[in-house]
Amino acid sequence: MPTQAFSEIARVDARDKVLGRAQYGADVKKPGMLYAMLVPATIAKGKVSALDVAPAMETPGVVQVLGIGDFPALRAEISYRGQPTALVVAETVEAAIEGAEAVTAVYETAPYIPLMTSPGAQRVDAEGFNAGDVDRAFQNAATIVEGIFETPTQHHNAMELFGTVAEWTDGRLTVYEGCQNLDAVKAALMKAFELSLDQIAVKSEQVGGGFGQKSPPKMQTFLVAHAARLIRRPVKLVTPRGQLFHIANYRPRSVHTIRLAASAEGRLQAIIYDVVQENIPDGGFRSTGYHEDIARLYAIENFRATAGDIHIDRQMPRHTRGTHPFPAGFALESVIDEMAYKLGKDPVELRLEHEAKNDIIAGQPLSPHFLNDCLREGASRFGWSRRLPEPGSMRLADGTLVGLGVACGIFGASMSASEATLRVRADGTTRMISSGHEMGQGILTAIANVIIQGLDINPDRLEVLLGDTTLGPQLATVGERGTASCVPTAAKAVEALRARFAELAGANPPAGNLHQQLARLKRPYIEVKVSELAPGQDASAIEAYRTGGRAGTGPDYPGFTSMSYIAQFVEIHIDATTRRIRMPRAVSIADVGRVVSPRTAKSQMYGGVVWGFSTALREESEVDPRFAGYLNDDLADYVMAVNADIGEVDVGLIDKPDPRINSVGVKGMGELVMLGTAPAIANAIYHATGKRLRKLPIRINDVL
Amino acid sequence: MRALSYTVAPSAEAAVARFAAAQGSARYIAGGTNLYDLMKLGIEHPAHLIDVSRIDGMDAIETDGDILRFGGRALMTDVAYTPVVRDQYPVLSESLLKAASQQLRNMATVGGNLLQRTRCMYFRNGAGSTSMVGVYPCNKREPGSGCSAIGGLDRTHAVLGTSEACTAVAPGDWPVALMAMDATIEMLGPEGPRNLPIAEFYRLPGDTPHREFNLHPGELVTAITVRKTPAGRASTYHKIRDRESYAFALASAAVALEMDGATVRTARIALGGVATTPWRSRAAEAIVTGSPLTPELALRAGRAAFADARGGQHNAFKIELGARVIADALIIAAERRA
Ligand SMILES: Cc1cc2nc3c(=O)[nH]c(=O)nc-3n(C[C@H](O)[C@H](O)[C@H](O)COP(=O)(O)OP(=O)(O)OC[C@H]3O[C@@H](n4cnc5c(N)ncnc54)[C@H](O)[C@@H]3O)c2cc1C
Ligand code: SF4
Repeated sequence: MPTQAFSEIARVDARDKVLGRAQYGADVKKPGMLYAMLVPATIAKGKVSALDVAPAMETPGVVQVLGIGDFPALRAEISYRGQPTALVVAETVEAAIEGAEAVTAVYETAPYIPLMTSPGAQRVDAEGFNAGDVDRAFQNAATIVEGIFETPTQHHNAMELFGTVAEWTDGRLTVYEGCQNLDAVKAALMKAFELSLDQIAVKSEQVGGGFGQKSPPKMQTFLVAHAARLIRRPVKLVTPRGQLFHIANYRPRSVHTIRLAASAEGRLQAIIYDVVQENIPDGGFRSTGYHEDIARLYAIENFRATAGDIHIDRQMPRHTRGTHPFPAGFALESVIDEMAYKLGKDPVELRLEHEAKNDIIAGQPLSPHFLNDCLREGASRFGWSRRLPEPGSMRLADGTLVGLGVACGIFGASMSASEATLRVRADGTTRMISSGHEMGQGILTAIANVIIQGLDINPDRLEVLLGDTTLGPQLATVGERGTASCVPTAAKAVEALRARFAELAGANPPAGNLHQQLARLKRPYIEVKVSELAPGQDASAIEAYRTGGRAGTGPDYPGFTSMSYIAQFVEIHIDATTRRIRMPRAVSIADVGRVVSPRTAKSQMYGGVVWGFSTALREESEVDPRFAGYLNDDLADYVMAVNADIGEVDVGLIDKPDPRINSVGVKGMGELVMLGTAPAIANAIYHATGKRLRKLPIRINDVL
Repeated sequence: MRALSYTVAPSAEAAVARFAAAQGSARYIAGGTNLYDLMKLGIEHPAHLIDVSRIDGMDAIETDGDILRFGGRALMTDVAYTPVVRDQYPVLSESLLKAASQQLRNMATVGGNLLQRTRCMYFRNGAGSTSMVGVYPCNKREPGSGCSAIGGLDRTHAVLGTSEACTAVAPGDWPVALMAMDATIEMLGPEGPRNLPIAEFYRLPGDTPHREFNLHPGELVTAITVRKTPAGRASTYHKIRDRESYAFALASAAVALEMDGATVRTARIALGGVATTPWRSRAAEAIVTGSPLTPELALRAGRAAFADARGGQHNAFKIELGARVIADALIIAAERRA
């Protein structure tokens, strides 16, 4: 039974963060701790034929150097520029850097393919998808719009770098680092070092931004753990950003060819969609995933998707906030806009008329959703009605071109089975042991709010624990499923605790809040432990959750599919002479089901617009094919949005529960929130200039 | 650890003497916002740092006589907010305020700013430091090794003043404004004091791109002077960049005008972000001088400034953008006439 609306509470860890008390992986200091630095390969492909670590060993302060062959991850075969060839461990970070810079290598170079456009790059087809009769729909079409769209290689660039501290005590390994999937790291470490469950702890209490980059286990974790064991002292490694560009995962460049057909009556009938992306062989980011969300966005029954990968000699691309629906949605939402012009329809109207009821991929109904409410609410707050349809028709007094654009986004509402333990004590404290990772998205606050609104407890003495394998299983906080998985479990824990208390207190419970009541009943505490499943799951999902297996599912559940939705509106100004592009205003409205923590949800909404703006107009990882590395591998040259870039942002949440997905009706939002911004900006630029830009990022040179 | 000595110079003379004693392995350091950066990137390897940021009196900002005099270690922030500068020389003030960030401007000095080095990514990110994976040939960093930018990712590179050896942009905004205002650089060296017009301070890359300044070893910039002029008021520093703050110029223009009604009597026009040195354009000045300023004329002046420009692989857009930035800057400056 979906719950009432939640009232707003402050971010529970805000004070700790502002005061610098929140502990991130790299903040950890241990007595006797050493510092490490990686040595990156400076060729794109080939072999290290000789590695001279002697000069590093002679550097004062250097304690140990691990080179090729000293650890499985340090391989002579080089398959991307920046691949670690050695790890230097020293008494100070300065000595580690100096030692790392003293290591020299002799390479045998091999030919390489740095870009998907490089000579010799070849497409490998992946699995496609078909629904309906696309060919017939195109034969009968009255209007067809098509285009080739491109989104660039981009890096996540979370503020927190990859920081790892490893310490061994009596054969027991403890690792501290920012990550999004502790259980995967734990399992991989257990395997690599042949440890039993009681010999390993991985802690990630606060993560300084993940965005997908911190999902898979990192090579550095193993190297640092190995070094710490060898030297018998704790070791810390904070990898510099320039290296992260080369060894951490990233959003691959992708090219989308899309054709959209409409009938004479202006109904959208069919889509033919092809995508190709840069990838490595057996890469973990599937090109087959691009169509899956966008095919569910509108009531377009006929859809054919093909996909392929082009293998390149760089490190592995992976999920990045917005993952597949961002690049694919940029293509879809741009052609929808173009179609609206061709049909002489308002772009909001065209979307409203094509509200989807069915999931054409799973062949079943969509759970009730509110994209059209998002569009209507957004249009009204934005003042969409003042838009003049003709491109180039709106100007400010000084000649500045004005463009108004709209676009939507959709993201699968997946869930995971999870457990929680809730204990309320007579001494006034409450402790919740939950699961997952706090990456700044506000999962702690959301869980806390469920407890605070459900129980009469001291809110400021409530402790929510997660991000530590010694607490119990920690679910992967990916695919915007963290909150949607933990919150229903927390709600169930609250219900169970209330029931337990009612049982205990009988018909005439004593007065006071829950703590006082317990004290009066002479009970030091009560505790409940609960587990909750996603729709359609059985007990095996909890078993998988406990053992690091696949506990996640969705967004297609037995009998229905659940998605999160967003509609975004932007106003773009383009200087008449220099063509400087600015965004004075944006409105973003989302349907994420029940909003559990209004404060942090709004914060996500703001951040999503900033992120979307940055993907649209700023960010691109630049590779010079002659060298294959990333040339702009720091935050000065990898241009991200700054405060001065962002105008007024108005955000809203529909806050209606999805009645089918879970007891609270909550869906995810962390990836969704950026999806509409880039296409809305491109659509607004078209509206301002009459120029359709199909390649991101859009820069001043594109509109001159 | 690489040995590094650090001393604080009490006076300009002491700094110069200390530098001479170090025999070439020393660097002056003021705000450190560029030098420390270059050290971490593995580009600069000084053995001695001589801190000039506390030299008595070298932070003075004098505006009383018929010149403006800025001490070499005056902070960017302090110069930018000096009332006379802010109100009567917006070109100077804006060039400082549109640079870097507030935190950097609170540390960085107007003398150090003149000597900051290029942002060419092959230069900065290719010295083989562990923080930057790149190893790139660069004539500026390693004379004779080649120029990676030519034929490479040169979107931010220069279209004016380039050579076969180097196309790197002179990064600073403030020097562009000073170029428009005909500033003079006051220096103290082992041979005594010396003054140089800013137009002679910067060197074209030619085939020695590693030599960027006409500054003799050990010379300390003690002050920067600008002769007072009514042109200061009708002036602006217009800067277009890849984001709205915290970015170097793609193209910028420092413009200062003296006008009779709508007619331009004298014009000073200098360009940033497009050339290998701060770039004065006499050609653009000649077009507007003596004529009533219209948007069309302003654009013609802008185009004239780029008559000799040469685009590379990805930066040809700067030729059109730069012309338009000049055009806009002329209009903005003219609107400020008294
Ligand atoms: C992230 C970032 C963004 C930036 N953005 C901009 C921008 O948009 N526009 C812009 O113009 N600048 C920008 N800057 C550069 C900044 O303005 C310069 O780094 C600063 O002005 C240098 O001054 P400083 O006092 O810190 O010099 P330092 O770093 O101390 O010194 C720089 C050089 O000057 C020499 N030196 C210093 N003082 C003297 C002196 N009195 N006499 C002789 N030699 C001296 C030093 O030996 C060194 O070689 C940016 C810098 C950073 C880090
Ligand atoms: S442009 Fe100049 S600084 Fe840049 S790589 Fe070429 S030589 Fe070096």
